[in-house]
Order: sequence, then C-alpha cells, then structure tokens
Amino acid sequence: MLGRWGFDRRLAPYVFAAPAVLIMAVGLFYPVVEAVRLSLYEVRLGEPPTPQAFRGLSILAEALADSSVRTSMAVTLQFSVLVVAVEMVLGVALALALEKPLRGMRAFRTLFVLPMMIAPICVGLIWRYMFDVNVGPINSWLAMFHVKPAWLADPSLAFFTLCVTDIWQFTPFVFILALAGLQGIDQSAVEAAKIDGASVLQTIRYIKIPLLAPILMITILMRLIDALRGLEVVYAMTNGGPGLSTELFSLHIYKSAFVTQRMGHSAALSVCLLVVTTALSAALLMWSNPMRRKGG
Amino acid sequence: MRISRRAALQASLGSAVAAFASPYVARGAETGWAGLKGQSIVINWPSHPHYDVAKTLIPEFTAATGIKVELDEMQYLRMKDAQVLQMSKPQGDYDVIVYVIMWKTEYVQRNFLNELTPLFADERLAMKDYNKDGIIKAYYEGLGLVGGPRGYLPGPGAKLYGIPYGAECSVLAYRKDIFAKHNLTPPRTYDEMLTAARVIKEKEPGMGGLAQRAQTGHQVTAGWLIHLTPFNGQVIDDKFVPQVAAPEAIKATEVYKEFIDTGPAGAASFDFGQSMNAFLQGQAAMYCDSISVFGPARNPAKSKVVDSVGYLVHPKATRYSGELGGFGLAIPKNSARREAAFAFMQWMTAAQQDIRVTAQGGQPTRLATLEHPDVKKIYPVDVYRECLEIANPDWRPIINEWTEISEKVLGLRLSEIITGKAPIKPTMETAATEIKTVLTRAGYYKT
Repeated sequence: MLGRWGFDRRLAPYVFAAPAVLIMAVGLFYPVVEAVRLSLYEVRLGEPPTPQAFRGLSILAEALADSSVRTSMAVTLQFSVLVVAVEMVLGVALALALEKPLRGMRAFRTLFVLPMMIAPICVGLIWRYMFDVNVGPINSWLAMFHVKPAWLADPSLAFFTLCVTDIWQFTPFVFILALAGLQGIDQSAVEAAKIDGASVLQTIRYIKIPLLAPILMITILMRLIDALRGLEVVYAMTNGGPGLSTELFSLHIYKSAFVTQRMGHSAALSVCLLVVTTALSAALLMWSNPMRRKGG
Repeated sequence: MRISRRAALQASLGSAVAAFASPYVARGAETGWAGLKGQSIVINWPSHPHYDVAKTLIPEFTAATGIKVELDEMQYLRMKDAQVLQMSKPQGDYDVIVYVIMWKTEYVQRNFLNELTPLFADERLAMKDYNKDGIIKAYYEGLGLVGGPRGYLPGPGAKLYGIPYGAECSVLAYRKDIFAKHNLTPPRTYDEMLTAARVIKEKEPGMGGLAQRAQTGHQVTAGWLIHLTPFNGQVIDDKFVPQVAAPEAIKATEVYKEFIDTGPAGAASFDFGQSMNAFLQGQAAMYCDSISVFGPARNPAKSKVVDSVGYLVHPKATRYSGELGGFGLAIPKNSARREAAFAFMQWMTAAQQDIRVTAQGGQPTRLATLEHPDVKKIYPVDVYRECLEIANPDWRPIINEWTEISEKVLGLRLSEIITGKAPIKPTMETAATEIKTVLTRAGYYKT
C-alpha cells in the first residue's frame, strides 16, 4: 500500500512514534540501565568513574542481608498500604459528599486541594512543628485533657504522625480524581436507579463505584507508586527515626548514597525498589486494568 | 565646586565606617595581596550562629583587599555532599570550604585539600602579623592537623590542612534558680548531674533534667559521645577494634538513657537546635553540649533564662573529658583562586577579626581573644578556659568511615536503645559487630 513518494502507509504509525520512542529510550531506559550497571560496582561519591571495583551481585546480596534494609522495606509497605487505603476511602467519600453543585463549592474545592500544592519538604517542616511535643499546637490543644504525647520521640506515634501527614497532603488528590470521575458518569444510569427505588447507598454501591472503578484503580496505582518512593516529608519530619520506625526505603537509599556515599550500594537498593514497585503495579493492573477493559 | 548633600553624607558615612573599623581591620597593603584585587572567591559556608556573625565582616574584607566573596550557605550536615561533588571535579566551584571536624581526615586522604604550611611559608601570601601560634592549641590540633597517630591526632606525621573557625568544646549550663530552689549542688561530677536530673524530673512540673541531642542518625551519636569519653569509653581502640560494647561504653549508654528518661518531654527526638531550645525555653534545667550556647543564652529574643544561667566545666565521670568539635576553613586542591582563598582565611581568623566576631557572640579561634574586655563582658571566660583544658581530640575517631558508623550504625542502634525498643548490652554488641563489618570492608584489618 504505497502512498505519495512511494512511502508504505503501514509504516506511518512507527515513523510517527519513533521520536517519542527515542526520547523514552534515552530519557528513561538509559538511566535505568546505568543504575543497574552501577549496582554491580563498588563506587563512592566523588570518585572518578574508573577504575571501579566490580562486585557483581554481591552488593545486592549484602544489601538484602542487612536487617535495616528489610525493616525499611517493611515500614514502607506498611506505610504505603495504610495511607493509600485511608486516602482512597476519605477521598471518595468527600467526592461523593461534595459532588452536588452547591453555592461556593468551587472556592471550597480550591481550598481543599491546597495541601497538595505545598512543597513536600515544607509539609514535613509544618507537621514537624505541629507535632512538636513542647511548642506544637496539637499538644497545646491536648493540654485541655492533660495529655502530652511525645509524637516524634515514640516509634509507634512517629509512624502514626507520618501517616497523618501523608493522608492530609494526598487525600485531595484522590478527591479531585474521584470528583472528576463522578462528574463524568452518565446520569441516566443514576436516574434509572432512583426510578427503580434504589437508596442513596445502593446507588453509590451498585452504580457510582462500579462506574468509577477504572479511575479509582489508576488513582490507587499513582498513589501507591508515590507512597513507595516518598522521601522529603519523612526526611524533614523524623529523619527516619526513632530507630527505623519511620525510615521509608527511599530515605534509606538516600542515606546510603549521600551519607555513606556508597553509590553502588544505593543503586542496588534503588533497583530493588524499582522491582517491588513494578511488581506491585503489574499485580494491580493484572487484577483490574482499566485500559484493557476500555479496549475491549 | 559645589558639594551635594548626598555626596557629603556618603563621605561622612564612609569616614565613620573606616574610623570604626580601623583598629581592627588588617590592611591588604601590609601583605602582598595587591595582585589579588578584583578576584572573586566562592565559599561553602554553614548556617550557624558563629557564621551569622562572621558574615557581617565580609564587606570589610572586600573593602580591605578588593577580593569579592560569594557565599554558598547551607545546613551544616548537608555541606558534605556538595563539597565532595565539587572537590572531585578537575576544577571545582569552591575556593574555601567550611568542613565539620568529622570530615577532615577523609578529605585529606582523598587528596581534596591543600596543605597550608607551604602557603604560610610564602612571604607574598602570609599576613605579616598573623601569629599562627596564637590559635587555641586544642582547636589547632583537633581541627587543623591531619595525618598523625590514628590518622587524625597531633603527633608525628600530622600536617596542617585547615584553620579552626567556629570551633567548640563542651560546657555544662544549668539553671541557678532551679538548683537553688531544690537545694541541689551545681554538678561537678556525673553522680551530681544524675542526682539533679532525677530530682528535677520528679519535683519540677513540666521540666526535665538534662536537654541533649537524640534524633536518629548523627544527633543521637553526638548526644551519646558527650558521655562516652568521661567514662573512659572509646568507639574504637588503637587497633581499630570496636569498643562500644566494652563496660565503659555500656555505662555511658546507661547514663545517656537515664538522662533521656529524666529529660524534657520528647527528648528522644531532639536535634542540636531543639536540645538547646529546650534549655533556653525553660523545659530543661541543664544543658551539656557545645559552648555555642553562650551567645543565645544571653539573647532575650532567644532565651527565657537570660538571668539565671550558670556555667561549669563538663562534669567528671571516671575522668574529665570534653567535646572537641566544630568547623574549620580549608582550601580545596582544585580551587582556581587559591591565593585569594588563603588571604580570606587569614583575614577572617586574624586577631582583630576574631575579637570582633567573638564580642558579637561568635566563637573564638585565638586564646588572646578571651583576654579582650569586650569578650569578657559576654563570655564566662574562666569556665571556657577549663573546658578547653579538657577538650579531647580523641573524642570520636575521625577516620574516613566515621560518617557511616555515626549515622548508620550508632545513629540507629542508640536510637533503638533510648526509645526502649532494644536492650542496651545486646544492641551495643550488635553495633560493635556492624562497626567491625564497616572497618573490614574498608580494609582496616589487612595483615
């Protein structure tokens, strides 16, 4: 099927896609391949690229044998699952509550998404101050009940504060996507359910949530990936402590790279994180892939 | 010729500044620095009370020498990443770096720094009246020398790579009013300090005994080190064998934990600033850490306890031994403006400037500075001298691997101990094993 100038039209999609593929190859695959290569060498920050001591998979084995790596990964998974679950429930609930076009709702929605617009490092500093045991406003309010929790000095409370901070910052993200999804729902299905006598809860359970499912799945995926690589907030709030109670895996990688300056070691840990994130994302997409459903 | 009012005002102001500065400012004309005029140097510099004061002198340095200065200012623990990256390049951006004491040996072993003795020997560059011998001996040896015994102590093989600036030793600050109220003896020993901590926690509502650093990582290690050498403990011995599970170190750890337990609320998460703040805001009756508390404690904007603070030498446990830490100035090997950088280092640490910075709340570099009346007005000079006498250059092992040991091993294990998540002895034994792993990887035990 030849077109003008003897060009095979069937090649057109590949020709148009080629620049994007090239950019992706250079911008995405090259750094990943370089990180994998680095993970096989013992390299310290600031050392010249050659000579580097080749250590192969022994760096990875050493990293995985380190109990602090395993603890840090466990903390990260626990944190990610918990915050994403709470954010999904709260975000969708708020979207359902605020979907009606009420007076002043636009301004309220804008205000509601403000936490998402604040730089994460500032969020960490704000909440570190909020939870400060002596001068923080939270303990000032709690003084009425004669309690003074040491939020950031107690391992379990510190983990809780980190979750609260993430939920505060990212529930609006779920809210916005869910609200957009709700407003895109074909209202005839909702009207039909009402005519059939469905209650509000039944309409949500059997009509709105199923129709929202593809968007919610993408939202979960995005939030999960984001939570798994969270760094700045925990860095500013607790620096991973007390002990390892709030040390997210990204912070562990950061410390490995910039505190101990072992770039090969931190690259090996980064590859581990990439594998875990990819596996979780693939599992989610296999379970419910909105793209596949749309394609039929 | 008519002189405008603006010109007259400018001339008067200029004369006033010159008149004020003249007793202090070393003139570029007294050196061979004339050829450096017009050069511009970049300095990596910490956000720190001493450097906040020192910064105010920089315009005068430029006026006196014609050398322009650009500051790259950052939080002190974050400087290392930037410095290592810059000093690894064939030509880096920094002409002067401010290093923390912990990094000096590593920088020298990685061939990052210029040795300073040849520069001082160059008559063209050396300030005529600089008097290197006037620098406080403990600071000169602890912060400036590298390559001696164990790689970081003064002695055979040690060479000068930095000039101490913002150096510090430890001191005990305590609340005279609270101690008097409870009939407590101002502590000269650890037993007295522990007794005071217990009594205050029990009898003074809302107040803890001793405020100290304890946040996971560098801070908790620094907090623990304050007590280690007074109990005769060591992190590693002369053969680089870890000693953190030895009886002396265990005793120091028990004491440290008790100070956390009897300390102000939330003590286990305090960093350097929060720890000092807890004392200055009246949440703790004692503070045993850097002498940098002297300035903020007398500043009503920062302190609620301006009139009630007393100072004593760091108390004795098995022996008297105090912190030796802080910052030093050095010139990276890859600096393109080494001579101008050396001029800056000398000018800032010269006697006249040292007095001015110290009199405004900075930290002295020279012993004679403590004799100046302006300094005596604000510093408890006698206590400071006692603290300097016991400042221990072997307070921590300043080897290349110290950052990793401090942050990733001790910084984690000590945090687990003070929050009650882990028992002391087995955890310190784990830490000893982990330190040995780090040192083995680094090749310390090769025969």
